[in-house]
Amino acid sequence: MKRILLASLSGLALAAAAQAEEVNILMEAVPDTTYIQQLLPEFEEETGIKVNLEVVNYAEMHTKLVPQLVARSGSYSAIVVDFYWVGEFYKAGWMQPLDDRIEADGFDTSVYVPAMMDLVGQVEGTTYMLPFYNYAMGLLYRTDLLEDEANKAAYLEATGSELKAPETWDEYLRQVAFFTKDGQYGVVNQGLRPDPIAMEWSNYLFASGGSFMDEGWHATFNSPEGVAALETYIKNLNDYGPVGAASFSFDEAFNVFSQGQAYSYITYNFFRAAVDDPSSSAVVGKAEIMGVPGQTPEEGGSLNGAWGWAIPKSSPNPDAAWKFLQWVESPEIAKKRALLGGSPTRLDVFDDEEVIAKYPQTVALKELLLGSHNFPTFTYTPQFVEVLGRELSLAVAGEKTAQEALDTAAAEFDEMAAKDGRQK
Amino acid sequence: MTAATPMEMRDRRFGWMLTAPGLALLAAVVLFPILWAGTTSFFDYTLIMPGYDNFAGFGNYAKAAGDGEFLHAAWITVLFVLAVVSIQFAIGLLVALMLNDTERGKGVYYLILLCPLLINPVVVGLMWRMILHPTLGIVNWLLSTVGIEPVNWLGAPDMAFWTVVLVDIWHQVSFMVVLLLAGLSSLPAEPYEAARVDGASALQRFWHITLPMMKPVIAITLLIRMIFAIKTYDIIYIMTRGGPGTATDLISYFIYRRAFVSLDLGEACAMAAMLLIVIAGMTALLWRTMRTAQDD
Repeated sequence: MKRILLASLSGLALAAAAQAEEVNILMEAVPDTTYIQQLLPEFEEETGIKVNLEVVNYAEMHTKLVPQLVARSGSYSAIVVDFYWVGEFYKAGWMQPLDDRIEADGFDTSVYVPAMMDLVGQVEGTTYMLPFYNYAMGLLYRTDLLEDEANKAAYLEATGSELKAPETWDEYLRQVAFFTKDGQYGVVNQGLRPDPIAMEWSNYLFASGGSFMDEGWHATFNSPEGVAALETYIKNLNDYGPVGAASFSFDEAFNVFSQGQAYSYITYNFFRAAVDDPSSSAVVGKAEIMGVPGQTPEEGGSLNGAWGWAIPKSSPNPDAAWKFLQWVESPEIAKKRALLGGSPTRLDVFDDEEVIAKYPQTVALKELLLGSHNFPTFTYTPQFVEVLGRELSLAVAGEKTAQEALDTAAAEFDEMAAKDGRQK
Repeated sequence: MTAATPMEMRDRRFGWMLTAPGLALLAAVVLFPILWAGTTSFFDYTLIMPGYDNFAGFGNYAKAAGDGEFLHAAWITVLFVLAVVSIQFAIGLLVALMLNDTERGKGVYYLILLCPLLINPVVVGLMWRMILHPTLGIVNWLLSTVGIEPVNWLGAPDMAFWTVVLVDIWHQVSFMVVLLLAGLSSLPAEPYEAARVDGASALQRFWHITLPMMKPVIAITLLIRMIFAIKTYDIIYIMTRGGPGTATDLISYFIYRRAFVSLDLGEACAMAAMLLIVIAGMTALLWRTMRTAQDD
């Protein structure tokens, strides 16, 4: 079976090579992908290379990629790599080093935000990826509710403090409780396992002053801060959020927010642009994004996240793929993507006057990105997300206490970190 | 067996020639993967380090049998199969009996009933996810118009299990109807006429004539449906991802994650082999039932 598959795959690859220059890429169905789709005709005109984007849901991507990456010749010319696959793809040797190509073509990688290069650029000193877009998480909140005079007066009476964009995590939580009234929710959560809940809760962990691990890769997220973070998460979801948030993926949660039913939603920053899209949002001009507030106004609680472009070892046409990568990450196209609403990874785009003029929130987004925290990235990150998602979901469902759930996840994390040779 | 005549030999050879391409294809797409998976289940084979260097013996099987999450998934699957098959059978038989007595518009009913079965399971899952959205879906809106509180269809563990069961019933019940109706319409009319002459009531006719005569059809229908239900994957994948908690973590989805998220193919193959043994046992039962049915 495998051999037949391989034979037919290489047959396909040969066919692709014979027709010359078609670049196939598996992409996720997110706004940044649609911006590229809009710009593709420029590339095709410029180079004569046809680009086929296979756009699927996030959950299907890893499963679709792995068989193609294991094969000697796969069907994808280039791929996009989520930050938490990086350790696994590196260990398995599925990505081609890009340093020689970068040097030969004089591609400038110094313009990228350093944290982006660390996350989805270099591994152990070798460049395997070009940072594509960042999805550091932030706090979407309703500015119109904060500015409402009646709300201001009621909040002052209830809490004795002024109603404004929250500066600390505790202030934010007070606002969540306050805005849960009159059929409106203080917060909407994305409680579906595994990654929506695991990613969202990570912000709660950082904002509560917790961390995933110490320097020797021993789990620390079952600390009192971690337990408090999970208990807060459960309370927000059950008491201050809509029914059913425990099964929401991010699109369903965003729908609740964009229909004006919730005061806040901690989510990927690329949703900021969707808030102002009248075709999908009833709160145009009424919401803003900021970094998730931390314990003090100086600390942030946001989770960092990003995608990188890579050329797989199994790529049937790496040269054409590199041409595409150079084009899509060129200053000109990176800026055009940002102008369409994309989430930049390059400092020159973040600081671009035209981009800031069109999207004033770019300044806040840059700050959010610079103050965000990283998720543990190692060979078993996807597996750890799976375990964490399961245990968090069990705690939300009331089948385990916060402490029990986190202890189980921490024990499994330690086991994986030890197996990966990380623990000191 | 008597010796074959040259003509019979030629016929047999011709028969083999005709079936060879089909058999070869089956060997390639059915037999080979099974043998490959069976072999892999005895090795420490991961997609990160693919290779047959570390023989694990029954290690993967022992690990699976001692894995609480796996056993939990197996138990949830048993509950799921019992729930969907028994409810689908009850509804299916009722509808089939009603349709069997229908004179006019049978084709229309048939077509309507078949619609869900013709829809791709992924579409079914997505459709129901939207319909059952707790705040934006139509079901809770309709319920609210008659004063019923919004139902947490997929967000509460017990409810999520029954929601998935209901969606599977909606999707697959017509399969039962079709098979049972085929059985009913092939029953001879004479026993019923005789019973009517003797003054038997409808319930008596059902209990003493229909049920006994339908027994083989019922047995086969139940078994086929059970085997399909054990393999349920798409609806779970789309609707709940096994959650909330582990309330809907069916075994097929569990094995898939072990293979493609944990990338541990060895253990996933061992789990799949254990599942295969259970299904093969049920298939053997199915085959025996079919044979006894023929002998009757």
